[in-house]
Amino acid sequence: MSPGSFKDDLVAEIPGLRAFAVSLCGSVTTADDLVQEALLRAWSNSDKFQPGTSLRAWLFTILRNIYYSQYRKRSREVQDSDGVYSRGIAVEGDQESHLDLVDFRTALAKLPAEQREVLTMVGASGLSYEEAAAICGVEIGTIKSRLSRARTRLSELLGLTERRDNRSNRELVAASRPRGADDPTDRE
Amino acid sequence: MAKDSAAARPRVGGGRGLDARSQEAIGRSLKAHYEDLVRAPVPDKFLEMLDRLEAAEQSKPQGAADESG
Repeated sequence: MSPGSFKDDLVAEIPGLRAFAVSLCGSVTTADDLVQEALLRAWSNSDKFQPGTSLRAWLFTILRNIYYSQYRKRSREVQDSDGVYSRGIAVEGDQESHLDLVDFRTALAKLPAEQREVLTMVGASGLSYEEAAAICGVEIGTIKSRLSRARTRLSELLGLTERRDNRSNRELVAASRPRGADDPTDRE
Repeated sequence: MAKDSAAARPRVGGGRGLDARSQEAIGRSLKAHYEDLVRAPVPDKFLEMLDRLEAAEQSKPQGAADESG
């Protein structure tokens, strides 16, 4: 494979890799450090990448290894110290949906990393159960149970569980937010 | 402490997973969260770093990559 095309492939994966990193560590600053190191390692180990397999899954594996081996303790202390994670890093036009996102991210940040990463990989990055299992080094059944626990916990945190009417998620999330309370669900 | 609010004390019925509507709501929020992050502009430093790495590789003499001996 020519280095040029490999570089282009890497560049194409950066936004997704970054989104995964932010979801994993909860801080944009830390996420960018992680992405930078992952790209560096990917570049110097490009001969180990098997063409035809998922570059995304390979990069996620690298980034995840860096996170768990070096960053996890540190990032727990500085989680969202930049406050950017809950605000979002993209320019958000729709104020209402932005509020939803803040609620969702606050809830997401309360999940254990192992649930958050699986949720992100399977629920948003488009990876398969098999790929997620390979990345995390666990059985597919473990991935499924982590997903299930993550969704249950999120629904508790967002107050979705007992709401069975026809309203949209936006309204559900808004309705679950008690007046004046900063963080009603933080009971751990 | 929102003790009076049923919504603040959600229960998971039977521990058998979520109803379809909650699953869907979470799925949508998750995708919105992710898409928001994916849409963020990529910092130049990543592209610059890859450019530097690529330039360094290309400026190497042809035989230099073959260092297995």
